[in-house]
Amino acid sequence: MPDIILALLRIIFLGLVYLFVWQVARAIGTHLGISLRRSRREGTRVVMIKSETQQGTEIDVQDVTVLGRSPEADVNLDDPYASEFHMRLVAQDNGMVLHDLGSTNGTYVNGRRVIAPTSLRRGDTIQVGKTVMEVR
Amino acid sequence: MTRNTEGALIVAASVLAAFGVTLVNFAQDRSLDAQTALTFLVFLIAFGGLHLAVRAFAPKATPLLLAPVTALTALGFFQIYRLDLAMETDRASFQRWWILIAATLASLTLLVFKGTTISILRRYRNITLLVSLALILLPNLPADWGFPLRGLSVNGSRLWVLLDVGFTSFQFQPAELAKLGLVAYVAGYLADHQRALREAKRHIGPIAFPEPRQLIPLLITWGVSVLILISQRDLGASLLLFVGFVLLLYAATGTTGYLVAGGFMGLVAGVASYLAFDHVQRRVIAWVAPFEHYEDEGFQIAQGLFALGTGSLSGAGPGLGRPDLIPNASTDFIFAAVGEELGFAGTVSVIALFAVTVAVGLGIAFRSRDTFRKLFAAGLSFVLAVQTILIIGGILRLVPLTGITLPFMSYGGSALVGNLILVALLLRISHEEAP
Repeated sequence: MPDIILALLRIIFLGLVYLFVWQVARAIGTHLGISLRRSRREGTRVVMIKSETQQGTEIDVQDVTVLGRSPEADVNLDDPYASEFHMRLVAQDNGMVLHDLGSTNGTYVNGRRVIAPTSLRRGDTIQVGKTVMEVR
Repeated sequence: MTRNTEGALIVAASVLAAFGVTLVNFAQDRSLDAQTALTFLVFLIAFGGLHLAVRAFAPKATPLLLAPVTALTALGFFQIYRLDLAMETDRASFQRWWILIAATLASLTLLVFKGTTISILRRYRNITLLVSLALILLPNLPADWGFPLRGLSVNGSRLWVLLDVGFTSFQFQPAELAKLGLVAYVAGYLADHQRALREAKRHIGPIAFPEPRQLIPLLITWGVSVLILISQRDLGASLLLFVGFVLLLYAATGTTGYLVAGGFMGLVAGVASYLAFDHVQRRVIAWVAPFEHYEDEGFQIAQGLFALGTGSLSGAGPGLGRPDLIPNASTDFIFAAVGEELGFAGTVSVIALFAVTVAVGLGIAFRSRDTFRKLFAAGLSFVLAVQTILIIGGILRLVPLTGITLPFMSYGGSALVGNLILVALLLRISHEEAP
């Protein structure tokens, strides 16, 4: 057996071992609901597309996320028109539900003021004061 | 991951075993022979069969455990085969038989528990304990009496039992099965006494210590460990038993004091046995200064380190190193042999597979709601983890070398049987605890 082929086979063998380890790790990841490729459920990310200071901020909603001006909110909204605890986003099997927490200046989804809890879909816009967010 | 992915990964691991054997043959200028097909078939039948047994008897068991275990067995097997060629032994074909036997017994374990639950081990835990202790003491039977079951002394350790059935004889290490029974007993005991053990605490500084009365089980286990050390001269089993027990006690109570007390008792026993027994002394000398004692005590460890060093990053290649220069390479030092031929890359993949296996086991413990199953799963995982750490640590000279074999990879039938049954028990627990 020529040395060059042996060397090649040897590297292929090690490669296969690592491919196996990778597959096992990936299988465990998907089993536990963690994906190694950072993919996530559709429609549970909010991106600030218009904001004076927080432009481009991405928020991944896991279970329940509270947004507001208070530093104690899960996500801080830097907008003078936002209330201390302005709204709550709850992740669902497909997408999210938005609850307005009795904010002074209101929350607008696709330009309409939120009165009751509202389901969000990919592409919806959320407006709080001067801040505009988009669901992705 | 679904059961189907598990099946596919088991086939892949069987291919890995056969590919390794083929590569060794090529490297040794041998032609493609029946070994390749035989190895593939044995792995497929054994682990594929176990996979089917899980489908039939424990369908809700985790599908994450069997694949890494198959891969570890495959990596160990190809190295055993490779050492066979160098040493002109015939261990690989024995190991193939043992793989089949162990997978059959693991499947039978699943079948036995199918009609009942694993909690019967808790209910009859005193019987489990007696059977385990009897198994541990079995090798102390006289070696030269007429009865077909005899004790056997190998390399100064009295661990083996010889069963003579006339035309042929079997050797096995009953302690490999006894350790499972002991874990079941301790888990049952702790599950019944958890509250008392957890609440009886005294705080000394920041560390909570248990009431002296609650230390009695710890003292008993410590005594049994020392007894094994004296009567059978088996440092490894005695250390495994004690460390496993202390860890399980800590897992059950969350009392740091047990770790401190256990560490202290272990230290006392360690120093005392170092002073009293020359076989412990030799181990420590070989650990501290293997190269100064290269000619005698340190030879095995030094050869193991040379092998790992020669292996370097990607190894000499399957069949191209000299792992046969390490004494007892296919049993104690299989990790160093893999390190020589597959290098750092190979050893890292081995450690990753062990880490995954233990993590899945502990995951089963975390998700269990029943206390006994939780502690049993944790204990079984600890047994795997402690064995792996002790032997790999011993080879890497992090801890003194103990006579423990690497689970799933080392040559040895009893250990393979014990460890695959351990896996079957973990699978059964995860089946019973599945939502």
